[in-house]
Order: sequence, then C-alpha cells, then structure tokens
Amino acid sequence: MSSKTGIEQLRAIEEQFDRECGAVSDPRSLEEIRNRYLSRKSGILTTQLQNLKDLPSNERAEFGKSANQLKGKIESALATLETTIQEREKTSALQREAVDITLPGNHRRIGHRHPLTIVRKEIEDIFISMGYTVEDGPEVESTFNNFDALNIPASHPARDPRDTFYISDDQLLRTHTSPVQIRTMQKMKPPVRIICPGRVFRRDAMDPTHLPMFHQVEALVVDEGITFADLKGTLERFHKQFFGETTKTRLRPSFFPFVEPGAEVDVSCVFCGAAGCRVCKGSGWIEVMGSGMVHPNVFKAVNYDTDKYTGFAFGGGIERYAMLKYNINDLQLYIQNDMRFLEQF
Amino acid sequence: MKISLNWLNEFVDVPESPEQLRSRLTGVGLAVDALDKAGDDFIYELDIATNRPDCLGHVGVAREVGAIYGVSLRMPKFEMREGVKPAADVFSISIEDPEQCGRYCGRYIEGVKIGPSPDWLKNRLEALGVRSINNVADVTNYVMLELSQPLHAFDADRLVKRKIIVRRARPGEKMTTLDGVERNLDPSMLMIADAEHSVAVAGVMGGAPTEISADTTKVLLESANFNPFSIRKTSRALGLTSEASYRFERGADIEMARFACDRAASLIQLVAGGTVCRGVIDIYPGKRKPAVVQLRRNRIQSFLGGAVQDAVVERIFQRLGFKYTATTDGWSIEVPSYRIDIALEEDLLDEIARHHGFDKFPATLPPYAGYGASLPFEPEERLLRNRVAAQGYSEIITMALSDEHTERRFRPDIEPVKLLNPMAEDQSILRTSLVSSMLRSLQWNLNRGMRDLQFYELGKVYRNGGERRWLILAATGMLRPKSVHESERSFNFYDLKGDVEDVLQTFDADGGFTSEKPATYYHPGRFARVGDTVLFGELHPQYVEEFKLRQRVYLAELSVDLILRSRPQRQIQPIPRFPSIRRDLSLLVNKSVTYVEVLAAIPRPKELVKIEPFDRVESGPFPESKYSLAISLWYQSNERTLTDAEVEELHNGVLRALAAKGMEQRK
Repeated sequence: MSSKTGIEQLRAIEEQFDRECGAVSDPRSLEEIRNRYLSRKSGILTTQLQNLKDLPSNERAEFGKSANQLKGKIESALATLETTIQEREKTSALQREAVDITLPGNHRRIGHRHPLTIVRKEIEDIFISMGYTVEDGPEVESTFNNFDALNIPASHPARDPRDTFYISDDQLLRTHTSPVQIRTMQKMKPPVRIICPGRVFRRDAMDPTHLPMFHQVEALVVDEGITFADLKGTLERFHKQFFGETTKTRLRPSFFPFVEPGAEVDVSCVFCGAAGCRVCKGSGWIEVMGSGMVHPNVFKAVNYDTDKYTGFAFGGGIERYAMLKYNINDLQLYIQNDMRFLEQF
Repeated sequence: MKISLNWLNEFVDVPESPEQLRSRLTGVGLAVDALDKAGDDFIYELDIATNRPDCLGHVGVAREVGAIYGVSLRMPKFEMREGVKPAADVFSISIEDPEQCGRYCGRYIEGVKIGPSPDWLKNRLEALGVRSINNVADVTNYVMLELSQPLHAFDADRLVKRKIIVRRARPGEKMTTLDGVERNLDPSMLMIADAEHSVAVAGVMGGAPTEISADTTKVLLESANFNPFSIRKTSRALGLTSEASYRFERGADIEMARFACDRAASLIQLVAGGTVCRGVIDIYPGKRKPAVVQLRRNRIQSFLGGAVQDAVVERIFQRLGFKYTATTDGWSIEVPSYRIDIALEEDLLDEIARHHGFDKFPATLPPYAGYGASLPFEPEERLLRNRVAAQGYSEIITMALSDEHTERRFRPDIEPVKLLNPMAEDQSILRTSLVSSMLRSLQWNLNRGMRDLQFYELGKVYRNGGERRWLILAATGMLRPKSVHESERSFNFYDLKGDVEDVLQTFDADGGFTSEKPATYYHPGRFARVGDTVLFGELHPQYVEEFKLRQRVYLAELSVDLILRSRPQRQIQPIPRFPSIRRDLSLLVNKSVTYVEVLAAIPRPKELVKIEPFDRVESGPFPESKYSLAISLWYQSNERTLTDAEVEELHNGVLRALAAKGMEQRK
C-alpha cells in the first residue's frame, strides 16, 4: 500500500465519519460510532494506524500526520456531540417531569377568623393607636351600672322587662357596654380614655335585622376641657381610619339619657360614596353610632366633679360595622356559622 | 309622628322647599323617616325622641321651624261664644290624687248634634292616618295633633250626678274600654270616675258606656295633665296603649291644658253646634313653678368647642319660647312649660348646638399625654388565635343563651344563671359550657352537606357568680379530603391531641394527661384531661346520635384564662453544634403497658436528647399478649461529636434497662 492510497483511504474514512456522525443523536449510537472509529482493537482509524509500519519510511511521516489529524478531528467532533447529546438529555428529562399547572393547587386547611373578631380587633387597634385603653366588664351586670348610673331611672321605659333580660331585681344581662364606663370611672380618676368592646343582650326575637345577643364597642373620654368639637373630631378620625380617608362623618341631634347633647352619628354611604343608593335609602348617609357629651348625672353617679370635668362617649354595633365593611345583609349569618360564610374571611 | 306641611303652614311660614325643610328638621334633631307627597300637601314622618313630647303636635314642630328660619310662630286663633249658664253650676270636678293628676280642665257643652265631620276636618285627620269617627271625637283628635294635648269627650248625660272624680280604681273594679274589652282594674291605676263608676282609664282610654254616640247632646270635655309614670304603669299593666297614653307617658304641657280645652270647645261649637257653658272648670293643684337655668357664656366655648355670638344665642332662645335676662357672665333663662326636657346648663347648650348647627362647630382631637393599651393578655390571645387558625380551625361565634336540660348534660354540677323573663324555653339560661352550641354549629353545617369541619370558639361560659372564657376545638370528617393529588384521611384522636399539645406548648402549659374521670359526653376509651382545665377526646357515640351528627366528632375544651396567663418569658436554646446519631429499636411490650410507661423505663443520660415512636404493631409472630413498638432514639453531645462506641454504650444501657423491666428487643 502506497501512502497515496493510504491518504486517500483516510479521506474516505473522514467522509464516511462525517456522514455517520450527522446521524448520531443518542448516547448509545455515540458510543457505537466512537468504538467503530477509535476502538483500541478494531477501530477503523486504529486499524489504519496499525498499517503505518508497512509504509515506506519516507511516507510514514506524512500518513502518520494525516491520520493523527483525522483522529484529533474525530475525537473533538465526538466530544462536542457528546456535550450536545447530554444537554438534550437533561432538557428532555426535565420535560418529562412537566406537570399540568392548570390543576388546582393542593391546599392545606387554614382556619378563618370570624368577621366580628376581625372588625373588633381592627377597631381596637385604631383606638389603641389614638391612645385609648381597652377595658372590659361582665355581661351579667347590676341594674345600677346598666341603668341608674347612666341616668336611666327606675321609671324609664328602657328598663321594661319586655326589652331587657333580667336575672333578678338588681341583676340583668347588660343591654349595652356602657356599664364598663361606670366601672372604669369608679376605679380611676380622669383623664379617662377608654374603649369597651363586648357582648350585649336585648330581648329581641332573631330576624335579619335583630339578634337577642350582639356586640358593641363604646368609647369614653373624660378630662378637663373635653368639648363637643373633640367628639366630632374623634369620630371623624376613627371613621376615616376604618372606612377610608374619603369618608365623611355627620352628627345629628338626638336623645340618649346618658348624654347631653346627644347625637346620632352617620357616615357617608360606603356603598355609593354618598351618591344615594338602596342601602342608604337614597340619603347618602348611614347611621352607625350614638354619641354625645357625658350627662352630668352620670358624673354624679361616679362622684366626678361636674364643674371640673367634661367628657364624651360614643358607641355602636360591631355587627353593623362588619355589615358595612363586607356588605352583609342578614345579622343571622353571624351566629349561624355556616362554613360557606366563614370561609370568605 | 306624621306632620302635614299645609297644617304646619298655619302656624309658621316655611321659606324653603319641602325637601329642604326635611334636611333642616333632621339637622335640629327631628329626624324625618319619610316625606310623601299627598295631593297638594306633603306628609313628614318624624321620629320624635322620647324627651320631646312637645313635638308630638303641629304647633310644637312649628316652633322648631320658627327657630330654624328665624320666623314667628302663630298660635291657633279661635273665637268662642259662651252661654250664660256657668259650667260650674251644672258640673263638678274633683281630684282625689293630685300626685297623679296635676290639673283637670273641663268644659260643659249642651245641645250638640253628633254627626259626621265636615270635609276639612275629616281630610286633615285622614291625611295623617287617623280614622274619622264623629264630629266631636274628631275635634279631640284634631286638637291633640295640633297642640300635643290629649283630650277626651264624655257623653255628659251618662255621668252619674254630673260629677268627675279623678281617683284610684277600687279593688275588683271592672270597666269596659272604648275598644270593647272589659278591663280588670286595681288600685294602682288612676281612673276618671263619676259619682258611682269609673268611666275612663285616666290618660289612656275612655270607657264604652260614656262614649259619644249619635244620641249625645251634652258633652263634658276633658283636658287634663297626668303623671307620666302613673300613665306608663297603668298602660303596661293593662297592656293598653293609645295616642293619649303615648303623649302623657312622655309628659304633656301642664299649662296647655286650659288653652287646649277652649280650643276644642270652640271647634266643637263650630262643627257640632251647641252652647258652651260659661267658664272652664279648672282644677289645678299641681301649679307649676317655672324653672330658671343659668347659662354661662364661657361654657359655650369650653363645652361645645366653638364660639357662638350672643345675638345668635338670644335669637335661638327667643324663637324657642324661652325668656332670658342677661347676667354678668351670661344669661338667666326661664324654661317654658312645654320643655320638660330642660333642667341643666348642658340642656341649654344642646339647644344652642343643635339650632346653631352641629356642623358649625370645629372637629378637633382632644389633647392627651397618656398612651393606649390593649386588654391584659391580648397579645397572648392573638397568638392563640393564630395557632388554632394555622391548625385549620375556623372561628365561630354562637348564642350564649341555652336551656338548662341541655347544659346539664355537659356540666351537670354547675348552677346556671337563669333569666327571669326568657323569650323562649330554649333560651332561658346562660350556657355553662361551649359544647352544645358547638355541636349545633356542626349540625347546621353537616345538614347542609359540609362534612369536613374544624371549628373553634373562644367565648364565655357562665355560672352563678362568674364568667370564664374557654376555648373549644371541634373537628369532624376528613382532615384531608380526597383530591387529584392525595388520598383522603380522616381526622383522628391523635390529630386532636397534637393540636391540643401544640396549643399547650405554645404557652408552656403542658401538663400530664390522664384518662381519669372521663366526662359522660366523651368516648370513655378516647378521652384525656389535664386536671379541670383541659378536656379532650372523641364525642360519645350516643351524643353523636342525639345531636344527629352521623359521624365521629372530636372535641377539646380548654380553660383559656389559665392558659394565657401561664406563658413565661421565652429564652432561646442554642442550636446544637454537633450532629445527633439515631438508633432504632423494636420492643415487645405487654398490651397492658402504655407508651408513657415505656418512656418511664428508659434511662435518661444527658446525651439522649429525643425519643420518638415510629411504629406500633398489634399482632405478628409474637405472643398475643404483646405488641411490638418501634422507637427511634437520638444521641447527641453539646461538647463533641459522639463516637460509634460511645453511642453503642449509651444505647446498650437503654436496652438493658428496658429488658430489666421485661421489655425485650424483638428478634
């Protein structure tokens, strides 16, 4: 065999390799082609190099050089191919692991807070941030704390057993959280700045707008120089914080025995932005609270100096605030505890 | 209270539209619930506060309107021709109980002709929803709606001996009221009587026998003033209310009685003819002394928080009918008789505030040097709520009212707080535990197809002389429902126990569980307690059936106040620097031996840091009296990485100790 022939053969091998290499796409055929050309025993190129010793010495160098060049080319082509195949393999392995991301997520059960608790805590936090202390008191109360001390004398119709649950002649289920005001003033001197959230009872049969048991939150501020303007400003600030900065607050003259002047508190309708809707009956306002300047007779009942101190008080139903916040239209939902209701919070 | 705009216009000129008047009335505290057009008239439905009976008539409302607009009030004008015969010669009136009846005015009218009212009268009444009866009765209603003074007309021929005596009812006395109902009277009730019988329940309702009828020709017209408390008591006792009692129990104007009597007599003469005998028989033992209240000028600023000019203050009082004189620091103000709600300086300040306009005062925040604070243990309560919510429990809030039979089933020994006047038998006491209301909430949901539930309530329970807060957890159905991702798994006893343990550990309140003294409503074999502060387990199947729950229910009750209080200051433990080494062992244990007893048999060198069971097999290739228990033990040192040999020695010590207690390693 002359070197010329040998070099032609090398060229044929190269052409053959180029052809076959293009068809290789998986690790097994890669290994096959590597063995076929480069195997130490039977590789096509190995065999060619073994023929080297049969060549005349002057051709050996040239042939050897060409053969080694070809070997280098094949090795590098196979290395590149190997990298490509490995990358493709990794990619397809990940593709095989693909999931249907449109299936629903796997939810662990989480508990929901009752809307009355959410709203109550929110109200508490707003008032705490305004410097108020939260106070509480018993639900079984004395008639003195619930009525007499609040300027509701024995002859007053609010004390009628048709409206109030009595335990005995001098004990009842509190009809408002106001007795906590009395308890607080009995145990401390002004300045007083408290809120009292809690459960209260009225003798109303249950329907969408009445519950025999509901929740109130009340505020009391007593100090020297507390004014009606302070009551207005405090209510305005609270409602902006609770319903949003665009909320307006309006006070309307009204009557409650434990305050003078007394006022109903309206907020601009949260549903229509005061434009007038079904909820606000077209008025643009929704009644949320009762309020007023603490009546001197209340101060007398707790031995506060009525010449020195003035104060304001206001209170409303937590159910009402939750109704407005979440558009709840039936009070009974609060105590039915239907999971379809609770899970929305 | 319905108010006709046309009628109102007789007493005051309204310079604005009906809609504008509506918002003005609301602005001074006469809340308008509705405003309806009725022909050429407008009808205002006013919500009059209980302290303003003067506004239960058109003149009273007109006075407020006059103050709103700064215009004059015109009182009703009328003419009356009296006959020559003095009424007092024909008729006598006496008051036996002046405490209850401060004034009684009577007019005697002869020769009236009873018939239908003229249209103007009929229309006025009907526009306000008052049914027309006859001309004389209609006049009494008309004057009441005009002047807020209730009146009553008797057929004078039926009054024995032409006498009116205001007295208490006699024991056992009966009378049939205008509504045809025979009433049993008692001496607490004030009556109008003739020489023999009661003829009217004073201030509440007239009697049928003396009612004005078609044959009536002589009328005794009553315009009186009664003690509000007396009227309210009588009205309640009889279960009888009327437009008259509604006004009297709020307080009528004692000075109006005579004017109203004349006004009505003149109208009767106008619509029913007849002769009004000369003079009003006016018995007035409770002559009112005008109240005078001092108003200090500086109180306007210091109480209301804004200044109001003197001229504005004086105009308001003048229009509202208060007489005032200047004093060195303000005004001395005489309260008119119709304003029974005014007694204090603050009441006068209210008059200024509402008529000047609540909106004219600034909105300020009170200065304060203090700080705010939550209730004690509020942070702990919030932590607790977060824990149980993370465990999957949703909060419920339930009625605190229940019935004794049900509550005794869960707390047989607690004396409940009983209501004197419950609305219903099943709401007659305050609950003694949170269990029954929780079971009812589960039932509500189960009945509506929701079967996998976890609820909690943090609420009060009550006993005589005390209110305590408890936490109740309840779970039923699947902990994990079947889904495309996972198979289902029921909630079980150990899920509940884990939740209870986590809550207790959060507050470092974990105590020893025992199964002693199982409460009757728990499954006797699936119950545990920590003293009397924690009870938990599976609900007894009998209760499941009674409360129609149809599936296993798990309950835990925890006395919250104690738990929240037990949380100590927390100091962290350093993270271990050296690895732990785990050794597993498998024991054969007598079936009578509990896991806690196995634990107790394991010695505790300080390197044994954690013990956890991981398998329990009840039967297999071992004696039937035993069970197999597999446990992992972790060994760890704070000082160095333990060698295999050291762990081996420690572990062998454990095995020897267990063997000594008869717990052999399973081969």
